[in-house]
Amino acid sequence: MFKEWWQFLVSASNIFPVEQGGKPVISQENQIPLLQLDNLSLAYGKRVILENVSFEVHAGEFWFLLGGNGMGKTSFLNCLLGLIPAQHGAYHLHPVLRSRARIGFVPQQCSFNPSLATSVREFVSLGLVGIETHKSEREAALHFALQQLNLTAFAQRNYWSLSGGQQQRVRVARALVRRPYFLLMDEPTNGLDLAVQSALLEDLARLQQEGLTILLVSHDLQLATQYATHVALFNSGKVQAGTAADLLTAPILKQLYGTQQLPHCPHCLTAHV
Amino acid sequence: MFEDFISSWGLFYPSYITGWLVAFSLSLVGVFVVAKDQIFISAAVAQASSFGVALGLWLSLATGIAWLGSDIALMNSAVLFAVLAALFSSHSIRRDSVEAVTGWIFLSASSGAMLLLTHSPHGTEEVHRLLASSLIGATQFDMWVFVGFAVFTVFMLLRYWQPLLLFTLDPRMAATTGLSLWRWGIFKALWLGLAVGLSIRVSGMLYVFACLVLPALVAKRLCGEIARLLWVTPIIALFASGFGFVFANHYDFPPGQVTVAVLCSLLVLVWFLPVNQE
Repeated sequence: MFKEWWQFLVSASNIFPVEQGGKPVISQENQIPLLQLDNLSLAYGKRVILENVSFEVHAGEFWFLLGGNGMGKTSFLNCLLGLIPAQHGAYHLHPVLRSRARIGFVPQQCSFNPSLATSVREFVSLGLVGIETHKSEREAALHFALQQLNLTAFAQRNYWSLSGGQQQRVRVARALVRRPYFLLMDEPTNGLDLAVQSALLEDLARLQQEGLTILLVSHDLQLATQYATHVALFNSGKVQAGTAADLLTAPILKQLYGTQQLPHCPHCLTAHV
Repeated sequence: MFEDFISSWGLFYPSYITGWLVAFSLSLVGVFVVAKDQIFISAAVAQASSFGVALGLWLSLATGIAWLGSDIALMNSAVLFAVLAALFSSHSIRRDSVEAVTGWIFLSASSGAMLLLTHSPHGTEEVHRLLASSLIGATQFDMWVFVGFAVFTVFMLLRYWQPLLLFTLDPRMAATTGLSLWRWGIFKALWLGLAVGLSIRVSGMLYVFACLVLPALVAKRLCGEIARLLWVTPIIALFASGFGFVFANHYDFPPGQVTVAVLCSLLVLVWFLPVNQE
């Protein structure tokens, strides 16, 4: 009797929504956007950062938020994370995301104390904070996250003894341990060499193929041309958003960045002509 | 040496048990202080708590209201100022850094406590007693207060150590997981303030500061992960205070200072241990 009640309570408080037929409850067939921005404006005091931003993010898309320094990309991300309020307008999350349990976040840097030995396993398990789960589910989530980024062999290693690229993968694993539907990343490739960047992006592209929706802040046009399905171009408080094919074109980039030099881009071959 | 200690037990057991419970509780709180490398904050909070005691004594003398100088009133005053210091010392003010604010708290509380009691009978003596640490005066009431606080601390850590750790180490990340930063900030300040405020009058600034930071600093060198710190740290604190009290009793030294000396020696010892970076 007690066991049944316990199982009922555990399932009732389960933050992992029931997967339907092995597929996430949010799928590309689902018409409700994961994120809908409705004339969102951000400001720090009187200084306007972003004005009237409106676009939608659907399941399975890989978004790159591109723009120069100080254009409001990170502020935009902070707003989505609930860290700063919107000045005007609003953003709407899919009902499954409203508790934020299924949103993963990868910060640009880790603010942990480097003099404090922190095993990869416990670093990743801190990603489960705020989620009430049974111990076996926590273990399964931890195993899943480490496995997804080939970190299982590093589980007992000290986070601070790892290379920059490995540390970044651990930070991604900490976000994945929440089994997110929506992954937000703040310049995850900063400071990584090209090979490590490429390996990380390949992993992310694989996760996106498996249904994860990713929104990634970056300066790197080349990576965007290789991996983005959609881009949002931040410039002087305005945001142009759309498919990578439509927006990563020479005239638009010339207008935004003063360059027509596009890296190789499968979407943009016509733009070079 | 141990027989001497046993024979003194009947007379001093409230002081011994209170001293161990203070060491145990403060060392657990100290894990989160050391995890954030906020060593100086704990000194400032302890000093602000001493100021609270000094203010209570001064008010009692200035107004003639004896209750203001009672144990309960002084304890409340110490806790109040410790909590306020913990709240303020975790924020930068008008572009001045957290360290600058912490320094201001430490210096203003130090000078304030001395100025308040300079002209009162035994005032300077009382301030020196708070700074120097003497555990001998602890009562059964103090002992039960710390039994309660130790139980509260263990319960809170068993239930909330991960959110508290994430909030301490990476507040921005904690906020993204849905934790309320202001609520956890207030909880942490209350916890630190209670720990220091309750301890300061019983055990003094030196013992409080040492038990907050030294056991966790020693354990930090020995442990490969943060979770282990939470049980290794109180073991170190209990070992140092246990050995310190027995040694102090035999050679007639003040137990607080001996415990601090033991902890300092342990820290020097672990500095020279080879550290496994992996």
